[in-house]
Amino acid sequence: MSIAQNPLSVEVTLPREDVALVTVEGHLDLDTATEFQAHLANQLHHGRRHFLLDLSAVPFMDSSGMNIILRVYQEARELPGSVHVIDPTPAVRRVLDLTGVSITVPISDKVDDALALIDRSQQSPEAP
Amino acid sequence: MGRLAATVERLRREVRAAQADAEGRALVELAKGILVERLGCGPAEAARQLTELARQAGVTPLEFAVEVINRASKDRVSEVTDAFMAAVTGSVAAESAAVRLRAAESGALAAPDTQAVADSLLQHALGPLGAVAVAIWSAGSDGSLTLAGSAGFAPVEADRWHYVPPDVATVGRLGLTELAGQWIGSLAQTGLPTIGRQAYPEGGRVAVPAGTGGRIHGVLEIAWPSFLEPQPPQVVRQVEALAELCAHTLQVYPHAQVADREPRVLPDASELMDLADGLHDPALVLVPLVDEAGQLVDFRIQHVNDHFLDPAGRPRAVVNGALLLEAYPMAAVGSDLFQRIERVHATGEPFRARRMSLTALVDEVPLSAVADLSISRHGTCVLLIWRIEDETARLASLLQHAQRLGRIGGFEEDVLTGETTWNDQLFALYGRDPSSRPVRLEELGAHAHADDAVSIGRFLRTLLHHRRPASAAFRLQRPDGVTRHMRIVAEPVLNAHRQLVAVRGAYQDISAQHWTEVALAATRDQLAQTEQHASERSRLALQLQHAIMPPTRAPLEVADLQVAVRYRPAEEEQLVGGDWYDAVVLPSGLVMLCVGDVAGHGIEAATSMVVLRNALRGLAVTGAGPGQLLSWLNIVAHHLTGAVTATAVCGLYDPVRRTLRWARAGHLPPVLVRGSSAAPMPLLKGMLLGVVPETSYEEEEIELAAEDTLLMYTDGLIERRDRSVEESLTQLLRQARTVAPSLDQQLDRLLTYSRSDTDDDTCIVGIRLS
Repeated sequence: MSIAQNPLSVEVTLPREDVALVTVEGHLDLDTATEFQAHLANQLHHGRRHFLLDLSAVPFMDSSGMNIILRVYQEARELPGSVHVIDPTPAVRRVLDLTGVSITVPISDKVDDALALIDRSQQSPEAP
Repeated sequence: MGRLAATVERLRREVRAAQADAEGRALVELAKGILVERLGCGPAEAARQLTELARQAGVTPLEFAVEVINRASKDRVSEVTDAFMAAVTGSVAAESAAVRLRAAESGALAAPDTQAVADSLLQHALGPLGAVAVAIWSAGSDGSLTLAGSAGFAPVEADRWHYVPPDVATVGRLGLTELAGQWIGSLAQTGLPTIGRQAYPEGGRVAVPAGTGGRIHGVLEIAWPSFLEPQPPQVVRQVEALAELCAHTLQVYPHAQVADREPRVLPDASELMDLADGLHDPALVLVPLVDEAGQLVDFRIQHVNDHFLDPAGRPRAVVNGALLLEAYPMAAVGSDLFQRIERVHATGEPFRARRMSLTALVDEVPLSAVADLSISRHGTCVLLIWRIEDETARLASLLQHAQRLGRIGGFEEDVLTGETTWNDQLFALYGRDPSSRPVRLEELGAHAHADDAVSIGRFLRTLLHHRRPASAAFRLQRPDGVTRHMRIVAEPVLNAHRQLVAVRGAYQDISAQHWTEVALAATRDQLAQTEQHASERSRLALQLQHAIMPPTRAPLEVADLQVAVRYRPAEEEQLVGGDWYDAVVLPSGLVMLCVGDVAGHGIEAATSMVVLRNALRGLAVTGAGPGQLLSWLNIVAHHLTGAVTATAVCGLYDPVRRTLRWARAGHLPPVLVRGSSAAPMPLLKGMLLGVVPETSYEEEEIELAAEDTLLMYTDGLIERRDRSVEESLTQLLRQARTVAPSLDQQLDRLLTYSRSDTDDDTCIVGIRLS
């Protein structure tokens, strides 16, 4: 499975100074996980504390993709910051539920909902 | 004692001197005879002439007598002695050599049998060259050798070697095959058996064919007590001359020496022509053509039979009566056909060859054909038969040979009827009687070393499930206690609807090859230190896995609960990872069942796996429930160096209440097979282990019924890179519904037919209630 067959498109916008909205399109698997991770590491390096991962155009995610989400989750927690998943497809949602990641990483339908969650947690900084 | 020995020695000397005198006298008498004829004088005058001429020449009468005989005979012996004389003119050694040869010849010709010839040769000609023993072998037409006479060997030894059957490689036999003979510096170098080897193990040997007129009658073998340096040409020629001398005494067919006559149709040729006409293959009757010097120059094609077709397309009449080399010039150049015929004619030993390539000139263009050849001598004639090979027959015979040589045994198994067919070689490889029942592929594991169960399982899976050709190496344990390294290669046979109908393949005994590969691998490892290090680590990971969790284990039985486990490590050693299973009876009487998977591969993952597995065992002793156990295990994982993440599912079975309490940490829920339905248990809330410092796990309890089967597994069983977990799970459920007669077989089938396409570790724990 080459990259040419399943290209991964990653777009980063900044709704706020410390919030990165990462929109992913394509399969998140062993072949593309590294590319995804590079984008996230870059944003961490530039001082983003909150990561909104829009996975509405990701039809398939395996454990490699999930491990990247877990890693950025662990990094962000130290800052402290947070990771949110926006509008996952049923298959991706299933993986997040299966692995129990959805217990720790909040899932929101829209970007605004996630931003609201960030606001709320900043009022009470102890919450995840 | 010493005096006695000295007396014996003196008497021996006297006997030898008397014999030499007698033989010398015989030579002088012969020379006198020649002079009588040449000078036309009487014997007394001849004797006087001889003495007078010898005195004038300054040589002894004996030496002069030899000179006279040489001049008169101009034969091979005289050539040799002349050359020898010329090489060392005037030297005493040369003259005495000439005398020696003549003496030997005289003795040989006068000798009543070959035994006496041998005595004479050793005494007169070979002893002075340093040889200690001589053997004269007579060659049978079947390639056997019969000891016609010998001297210098112990009588017992000569008795033991009175006959050498055909095709036994001895020094004498080799002498027969090489026209130049065999000159061996030291017997020890060749390792060839021969007469008197024990007496002179390091000694030199010479074996020269004894032939006349293109016919070889036997071999002259000469033994030296110590190493034999390469000999000067004079000595070589002497020995050849002596061999020819022996040939005269061995001659079986006196009429073979038809030197100056055109070959005529001999009685045996006409019989042979009749025989050739009765054959169904092309056949030629050949008669030797000998030149004036007695050398074989060609063969005349005396007759060709009805089935003969000229490869060059000429009419039969043109070929009939022609000379072989004229009709088929390529026989001498393009192939060694002519040499073969010559040899058969010389030795009488028939030649048969499969797939010999024949070349014929057609309009000056050489054309090749492959044929089976048969050449045999009948009387003085040679019968040549060929059969142009049919391609199918050729392939079949080629396969047969390849199988035998490569120690390959073939098999075919009918998937529908289960009928298995083996060839003879396979029975031999398996060490089983050909009348016994062949071993079916499904039973292969029972005949292999327990550690090879994994590779055999993988082999069966590729072959039966993926329906792709597969191969595996394993250690075959034969009924006779012998262990053999085997390779099995097999391919599926599909019908028009792409259904599997049969499997055919082959086993190869790679025991020898295996050790070569091991040696090669060791060398490679030395060359690439880094690689070695990495592979050692992978191997260590695998060993760790194996030590803790053998690939299969005797089923565990607790009350009415049957437990079976399977572990299949990743095929690529470096991918061996952190899968684990556990099934243990706790002090409380509950049975703890667990399957887990540490993220990542290699030694780190395997080490973490050991920690988590042991931690869970230890925690379970507290009597806590599965949810609590997992939340403690999460803390362990979180605090492990490198913060590993892992998934696990853990259940506690109560044999009294027949209930299972379980929880999961990011792991696939177990599958419950009840009757003809199979369904995954609910997706209880439970986070992966090691991600967060603290978390809790949802628990559930279910009641199990008789005949229920519960399966816990790692995702190596279902993971596919192109499918969602959901789709993969559906496939597993379908497979799980097919209930096998035993739990063990069910787990085997799950491994064999799993749709997974990633080379990942796989663990399965299955329980069944009776």
